[in-house]
Amino acid sequence: MATTAAGTAIEARALCKSFGPTKAVADVSLAVRAGSVHAVTGENGAGKSTLMKLLAGVERPDSGELLVRGERASFANPRDALVRGVSTVFQEFTLLPNLTVAENLYLGREPLARGALDARKMTADASAVLERVGLAVSPDRLASRLTIPQQQLVEIAKGVSADASVFIFDEPTATLNNAEVDTLGALIDDLRSRGKAILYISHRLEEIFRFCDTVTVLKDGRLVTTVPTATLCETDLVTLMVGRPVHDLFPPRSTIAPAVALDVRKLVPGPGRPEVSFALHAGEILGIAGLEGQGQREILRSLTGVVKPESSDIEKRDANGNATRLDPRHGPTAAVVAGIGFVPEDRKTEGLYLDLTIYDNVALGRLKALPLFSLAPRVATFVEAIAARMKLRAESIKQNVGSLSGGNQQKVMLARWFAAGVDVLAIEQPTRGVDVGAKAEIYGLLREFANEGGSVIVASSELTEIIGLCDRVLVVRGGRFVAEMRGADATEEGLLEHALDALEREPAVT
Amino acid sequence: MIATLARRSRRAVSNSRTGISAVTLGIPASLIVVLAIATPHFFLSLQNLTNLVNQMTTLLIVALGQLLVAIVAGLDLSVGSVISVTTCIVSSDLSPALSIPLAFALGAFVGLVNGYGIVGFGIHPIIMTLSTMTFLQGLAYLIRAVPGGTIPPVLTTLASGATLGVPHALVWSAIAFFAVAALLYRTRFGLHLFAVGGQPESARLGGVPARRVAISAYVLCSVLAVFAGLFVAARTASGDPAVGVSFGLDSVTAIALGGAQLSGGVGSALGALTGTLSLALVSNGLNLLDVSAFLQSALKGVLLIVAICAQRRTAVGL
Amino acid sequence: MIAAERRKPAARFSLATVLAAARRLPPAYYGTLVLLVAAAVFRPVLLSSGLFLAIVQQSAPLGTVAIAQSLVMRCRSIDLSIGGIFVGADFIATSGYFAAWPAYAVIGICLLFGLAIGTINAILVTFVRASAVIVTLAMSIVLVGIVVSVSYFAQPGEVPETLKNIGSGYAFGVPISVLVWIAVAVPTSFVLARTVFGKYVAAVGANPSAAALSGIPYLRVIFVAHVACALLATIGGLLLAGFVGMGATNLGQDLVLNSIAAVILGGINFGGGSGGTLGPIVAAFMLTFLFNFLNSFGLGEPAKYMMQGGVIAIAALMYSLGRRVA
Repeated sequence: MATTAAGTAIEARALCKSFGPTKAVADVSLAVRAGSVHAVTGENGAGKSTLMKLLAGVERPDSGELLVRGERASFANPRDALVRGVSTVFQEFTLLPNLTVAENLYLGREPLARGALDARKMTADASAVLERVGLAVSPDRLASRLTIPQQQLVEIAKGVSADASVFIFDEPTATLNNAEVDTLGALIDDLRSRGKAILYISHRLEEIFRFCDTVTVLKDGRLVTTVPTATLCETDLVTLMVGRPVHDLFPPRSTIAPAVALDVRKLVPGPGRPEVSFALHAGEILGIAGLEGQGQREILRSLTGVVKPESSDIEKRDANGNATRLDPRHGPTAAVVAGIGFVPEDRKTEGLYLDLTIYDNVALGRLKALPLFSLAPRVATFVEAIAARMKLRAESIKQNVGSLSGGNQQKVMLARWFAAGVDVLAIEQPTRGVDVGAKAEIYGLLREFANEGGSVIVASSELTEIIGLCDRVLVVRGGRFVAEMRGADATEEGLLEHALDALEREPAVT
Repeated sequence: MIATLARRSRRAVSNSRTGISAVTLGIPASLIVVLAIATPHFFLSLQNLTNLVNQMTTLLIVALGQLLVAIVAGLDLSVGSVISVTTCIVSSDLSPALSIPLAFALGAFVGLVNGYGIVGFGIHPIIMTLSTMTFLQGLAYLIRAVPGGTIPPVLTTLASGATLGVPHALVWSAIAFFAVAALLYRTRFGLHLFAVGGQPESARLGGVPARRVAISAYVLCSVLAVFAGLFVAARTASGDPAVGVSFGLDSVTAIALGGAQLSGGVGSALGALTGTLSLALVSNGLNLLDVSAFLQSALKGVLLIVAICAQRRTAVGL
Repeated sequence: MIAAERRKPAARFSLATVLAAARRLPPAYYGTLVLLVAAAVFRPVLLSSGLFLAIVQQSAPLGTVAIAQSLVMRCRSIDLSIGGIFVGADFIATSGYFAAWPAYAVIGICLLFGLAIGTINAILVTFVRASAVIVTLAMSIVLVGIVVSVSYFAQPGEVPETLKNIGSGYAFGVPISVLVWIAVAVPTSFVLARTVFGKYVAAVGANPSAAALSGIPYLRVIFVAHVACALLATIGGLLLAGFVGMGATNLGQDLVLNSIAAVILGGINFGGGSGGTLGPIVAAFMLTFLFNFLNSFGLGEPAKYMMQGGVIAIAALMYSLGRRVA
């Protein structure tokens, strides 16, 4: 019989999990006390998410054991884990869009009355649970009609409704803006004060220090250490994560010439949206900052023709100052021909051809503006050169892109646009899912691109990234630009102040 | 017109998962009004209405099965062949005590094969069910090369005739309709069907046995097609290896007209009913106009195209 | 040169690499091999030069249609209207309405007809974004329904001599239809492998949304694929009409399913795959040979249907298992 220290809610003992030849998690042990918040951190690929999946019942360990309140447990699926008291809020929410909030809450454990679904009880129970997490929406609302923070609250409500003793949060703030992170923090505090054990999986140092009592650091699937957060400072933690000190993530800024590369006037990104105007200078990296869902995405996507704007008056100037008009309503093709490349946030579904080779992915960039039935040029040496320049880590350019790491996939995305010879890049979340090392390289590449005369617009929800990378920052709120500042002068507080100012917040968490 | 239809159906979809909209209800309603005004004596005659119900019953049963599959984002083109094979089996020399269970067993097996192929092996539903469709078509010809044979009297009695003035066809329609509606809205399995159709992986993570649910949908669909086949055999009093051919597409048309989204997660029993009714009314009206059967099938094809075009979707292709 | 480690030595000729390469070969290659061996053992007469060439000739319509079908399937679409196109084109060629016209003009009209249907399909699939399965299947039903209705007034009759000659004649000891087949295959293969359009087809098949977002005119690519598919399928239909010699309102209906089977057996699935243009061609020959082989054992129509269904299922199964292993 296993013995567990008193108060331990969940414990992992020597967990191992391999995918093919790679050991994703090797011999990891950790114990989470009730009434505490325990962070699990590490670089991308360190094994955080695999460990989370083992604890949550998504994957089963190859060896090792799991103890919930001192008893051995093995979960068939996350619902099974939930019944045993382990609730997981996944990074990609698992709510079903075509089910109501109540149905989502009780999916897989629906109340029955005389063998039939008891919809009335389900709705009533759901109302009570929603009230407990402070979410003021009808339980009969379809999940597809909730905002992202509301969806997250429903996920948490699932755990509360099952009276879980362990709550696992997988990168919970990835899709939240800063105000929402605060409300999440309050909710976590509340759970802790009610004696729940919370496992907080994140690579965001700030939150780890803010929310967590203990931190476990993983590297290459192995446990590095578990220590109280109070005994560490940020630099210590980064050193533990990376295994070496990280000096400067961001490349130095350069001076910007006054030449305008892209003059965006009266862009109305969608029906009923306010009009925006701004200029992007040659050699500039322009950041668009703001709370999530304030219109950054729409501005970037309508500018590049990915979604059709209502109206716009956009002028694109090349290095010689020759101006051409761009109408994004003609779609992304028109934008690409004008020399604007768009890098979507979700590389795998919207950006890359995972089943095609690096060569194909990059060479497609060379085809733009060629007639449909002209010969496709062979550009192997060109692609090799660009891959080398970008320090792409791959065995050969014949390797499928699907087999690359997140950072290298992002490099392939950029390589395609460099190959296309665009001089404006519009990038959503440039380093989402990219590990620290590759992050620095990607920042370097963007700066290099700007130094050679290109211009970059970055929409990012990571304020440190906006501040560190950009020459100039526009703050967006309610679809309008409310402030402009130089990157060198910008601070997190300053940006937030503008991003939040007078913004009516939805009632979310009590 | 297509654009308006599309806009309306989109709105309905964003509001609920039934797919029911003004259009799904309006089409049959306006067809009834038009037919009733144009030919009051004929259309509203008891004879014609009974006819209409008889025509509808088979398609309704098949469409309800097709609906279950469509909700889990599938498609079953093999239902027509299942119907044909069923009529061939029950018109054979076997005793009904043997032939009817055999037909059901075969139907369930076909559903299992479809389900396993699609869910277990990731074969595209169209490819999978086209292949079973073709195979079963061959099997039907093998059992009975030309239409004929005799149908057990018990089936004929159950399918035709009336009790207390209520035609049996109507009774069967009602049973099938309420059974599927209860399954969809009053059982966990029904909710799980919608969950799997909404997002299979999320449903699985939520503890829904997604694969089993999806496979069950295919099995139920095939079993319902066997029911339909028994009904057809009883009505026509013979086995016919080609009798089911049109039902595959007709059932898809019916549920598409009824607001079901072929991309999964949206659909309703009521929609299957209104869609079937619309198709039956169109046939009825074209019969009145003396339009040839072939031209009718062409017109139904056009109707299918219109119904499908009204479903806005983002994907292009399959 | 790629950065970082290059530890791996140049690929050596080992059993493992050969097996890995072999696994990527389209199933049709193995099937054909097995079939030829089986024929050599049980029915050597099928391999006699005369009969063998006749089977190759018989493969030409399916082979041409398979190439057509592979174009749309590479773009994650499908064309099930081919049956309707066959019947329509056949009716145009044989109904006598154009009897006074020169044969090449009639062939031209048939091709225009195919082009028109392909264009309608393409508009519905790309601009209206309707499901290609349903739309093309419905299109087929519409066309067959119309032709059968109209044929009460004008019975389909003899196929024009020129077309007959193309479908069943020989030139330089080679069936003319096979020459037509090659004339379709070679440019198609070239276009797919070497042109911008071909690269775009691969991209659209691999990830349609990425293609759209990165400015590839993906709707135009799918549009062209559908139009080209219908046009090439019409050529296949004319070859078949010429081969059969008589008009019929149910001409070549089995070619629709067989073309899909041939494409999958040829190593191509929705959205790409490993087979080049040669894959579907070999597969078309394999299927035709298979049916001849079965006929030689006296298997009738029912068995043919069952075989078709089985072959499609097995090919799809092999493809999905192959993907899982890889």
